[in-house]
Amino acid sequence: MLSPKFALYIHIPFCISKCSYCDFCSFVPSKKQIEDYICALKEEIKVAGERAGGRLVTSVYIGGGTPSVLPDGAIAEIMECAREHFIILNACCTTIEANPNSFTREKAYEYMLAGCSRLSLGMQSHSPKILKILNRVHDFKDCKNAIENALHYNIKDINIDVMLGVPEQTMRDVKETLKKVVELPVTHISAYGLICEPNTPLTRAIEKRELALPTDELAVDMYDYAVEFLDKHGFKRYEISNFAKAGFQSEHNLNYWNRGAYLGLGLGAHSFLDGIHWQNTENFKEYIKNPSECQKDIEHETIKTAKEETIMLALRTTMGLNIEEYNRLFNADFLNEYKSVISLLLENGLVEIKDNYLRVRNPYISNAIISEFF
Amino acid sequence: MSDRQKNIRNFCIVAHIDHGKSTLADRLLEATGTVATRDLQEQLLDSMDLERERGITIKLTPTRMKYNFEGQEYILNLIDTPGHVDFTYEVSRSLAACEGAILIVDAGQGVEAQTLANVHLALDNNLEILPVINKIDLPSAEPEKVKGEIEDVIGIPAMHSPCISAKEGTNIPAVLEGIIKEFPAPHGDENAPLKCLVFDSYYDNFKGAICLVRVFDGSVKKGDTIKFMQTNNTFEVTEVGYFVPKPKECEALLAGEVGYIAASIKKVSEARVGDTITNADNPAPKPLDGYKQVQPVVFSGIFPVDGSKYGELKDALEKLKLNDSSLEYQPETSVALGFGFRCGFLGLLHMEIIQERLEREFNLDIITTAPGVSYHVYKTNGEMIEVSNPSNLPDPSIIDRMEEPYVNMHIFTPPEYMGSIMELCTERRGENNDVVYLDEKRVRLDYEIPLNEIIYDFFDSLKSRTRGYASLDYELSDYKASKLVKLDILLKGEICDALSLIVHQDKAYERGRIMTEKLKEVIPRQMFEVPIQAAIGGKIIARETVKAFRKDVLAKCYGGDVTRKRKLLEKQKEGKKKMRNIGSVEVPSDAFISILKID
Repeated sequence: MLSPKFALYIHIPFCISKCSYCDFCSFVPSKKQIEDYICALKEEIKVAGERAGGRLVTSVYIGGGTPSVLPDGAIAEIMECAREHFIILNACCTTIEANPNSFTREKAYEYMLAGCSRLSLGMQSHSPKILKILNRVHDFKDCKNAIENALHYNIKDINIDVMLGVPEQTMRDVKETLKKVVELPVTHISAYGLICEPNTPLTRAIEKRELALPTDELAVDMYDYAVEFLDKHGFKRYEISNFAKAGFQSEHNLNYWNRGAYLGLGLGAHSFLDGIHWQNTENFKEYIKNPSECQKDIEHETIKTAKEETIMLALRTTMGLNIEEYNRLFNADFLNEYKSVISLLLENGLVEIKDNYLRVRNPYISNAIISEFF
Repeated sequence: MSDRQKNIRNFCIVAHIDHGKSTLADRLLEATGTVATRDLQEQLLDSMDLERERGITIKLTPTRMKYNFEGQEYILNLIDTPGHVDFTYEVSRSLAACEGAILIVDAGQGVEAQTLANVHLALDNNLEILPVINKIDLPSAEPEKVKGEIEDVIGIPAMHSPCISAKEGTNIPAVLEGIIKEFPAPHGDENAPLKCLVFDSYYDNFKGAICLVRVFDGSVKKGDTIKFMQTNNTFEVTEVGYFVPKPKECEALLAGEVGYIAASIKKVSEARVGDTITNADNPAPKPLDGYKQVQPVVFSGIFPVDGSKYGELKDALEKLKLNDSSLEYQPETSVALGFGFRCGFLGLLHMEIIQERLEREFNLDIITTAPGVSYHVYKTNGEMIEVSNPSNLPDPSIIDRMEEPYVNMHIFTPPEYMGSIMELCTERRGENNDVVYLDEKRVRLDYEIPLNEIIYDFFDSLKSRTRGYASLDYELSDYKASKLVKLDILLKGEICDALSLIVHQDKAYERGRIMTEKLKEVIPRQMFEVPIQAAIGGKIIARETVKAFRKDVLAKCYGGDVTRKRKLLEKQKEGKKKMRNIGSVEVPSDAFISILKID
């Protein structure tokens, strides 16, 4: 099945330093590696653009890594190339991720000219102690400066990432961070739980008992607090870990949760297009050598995986799963198909059905709830 | 007695577990050149992996050995015996096939419960006993003291018994000499009608059920038509032979000899242990004594973890039954566990062996419910029914009275553990019938105790309370009146029939409390709170609660996470399949057995 349109993701796998929890495809690059990468990325954009064959790009997201570590002019060059080979309308929402300490006034100007309309800042925490544990190289002042720089060039749609459930984090840290965040002129907050990926320095420290994770109870309390506090300040939760002011939900991310198509370009980027999942190689040399022929883990969707993903992604959102849409998409009868699961979950108050949408009432255990449908 | 018979010795080895029976058997095979040393796997006669791992013998492999002594060649037939109380009947039939028994006693441990039980069986079968003191290489060995103990406790002369180390191969020829000199040669008339004792049978995929036999009278050869005198089945013999220790075909088996008969017998249940084989055309007037049909005494439900594997479980049980006529099973349906089988076993070891074989040989994940016994339930209308499945217990209003099986149990122990053992036996409703001081270091305690109280973890408790020094043996005695109730477990308000138990009313409260506590440990936190209750009739007697878990996800999920996340949840779902849904509660399949360990 051909996807009529898709979202575009561009990956910049570089950082000034690696965060302690990060298992993403990113590293601290040399100058030559940066040059090689931009060259390869442009090559991939060119070939992928031809393959996309005139389909409309609905949103663009430049993520990483830290795109803002690229030298001045690089983002503009990449975006110019992308506009040349894809159909990207001027109004298309384009987000760029940045580290608070590398988002200078010059960068803001360059990104504005490159068409970026949205900025996502990895603030993570207000607490110097937590930032140190995460090995983040910025402070809250950097954050304020970065936002000022963005606003100066009229980039007004700004997201702040904050992390909950970090080792040694207390309720007080969380309250302090959220209080500072809502005072900032931002439109969107991602408050997500830390995942301890294997083989990261942070996970090793926890395994060695040098650091202690908050208990499940405390982590849930932090979340409950965040939901209530952010709601009070106009940020409505619309997905497990995402909150936005009215009209500022992330279009690019909603596309993921609606199981829309997306094309990922760059080292290790994931794609889901025309019913096929794949990932680009995570091997830098391989990518540089052949950026447009380095797909791996190619997986064609089946009815089963399509259904599972649709349910899994939709139930992450507060809107929930559109039952009519599901039935239309799969020519199915959702309520009948999952009759016993749904009645079990309804009986125990874990989900609700309203206006033909199925919603999770307790998002903290959504893994367990969702896997019931698998 | 013919010259041929004069040089035959049929014997077995009896011993307490761990006293070195299999090791001595291996040494005999080696010393007689039956098996080259390099071919000796450790403990050759125990042919099943399971037996080898546990160091116990449950399957018997009779082996023919040749030995030259004082210028004459002797044929020595070693009939190995299982050393566990579950298989007492099989042991007695093996003994009946012999004229002599080597009694191995550990030079450090002395006489143990099983030693005594098996010696008594041997004496009952009029066997000559040759005591052999083993493990003299151990620092703790006191062979002279053990000899004295054998004379005192068992009452057989032991002063000239060979002292050996089977492990190191010390003094093995003395054992062989003892066999030849002490044990009588077999009697029997080759020309009389055939009389053959079946002392074991096993299933061979190509030849059908193979009977292991001792010929008492007459002879049998290929082509003969034989008749089983208890079942009246007749078959044509397709092969006779003996084991060295691999099967070796021969012309005929004659009176006094030990070997095997193959006759295209479809099932081992048609070749029952203890039955007498005779010639159909020239039958013996009456069968050999001692036949009885073994009855299972321990029962439990066996269910596939994955309900769709019912057919596979059925096939597996059928295959096991081919080789094990004492295994009984019939279909059972549980509300909680679906379709399965109620199985009857000779005892707990037998039950464990069957479970392990289902898991290992047939690769099945199974759930086993609490082992129980068969109760006699007298209804108010005078009718008596046997109930081995708690779910089948009639409503209390129509039960007049109930009886449960008791056993006579003998425990051997150093005196310092007596108090602790008596406490244990009293807790388990045992009644002390006798205390016998064997010497200053050993006491025998005799109890009459309900079988139900010892079938689960009694042996483990005994071992832990006595640091492994006590040994135990028992035989069924009788059914006795008992005040019994059905204890139900409710998960989230629903009775889980697979967890129901029949227990003595005085123990119901404690049992209910322990079971709910145990279940709380083994049932993982779920999406919702799970109350666990124990009840008698409608009355709740204990309650615990498994709280709902708080979180399993707070992380983000963007484009790069979709397939990974989906696979993670698929895996989570796979994991859930290892659980059993009792109503809406997920219970790990090993919960059913783990909650039964009380101590």
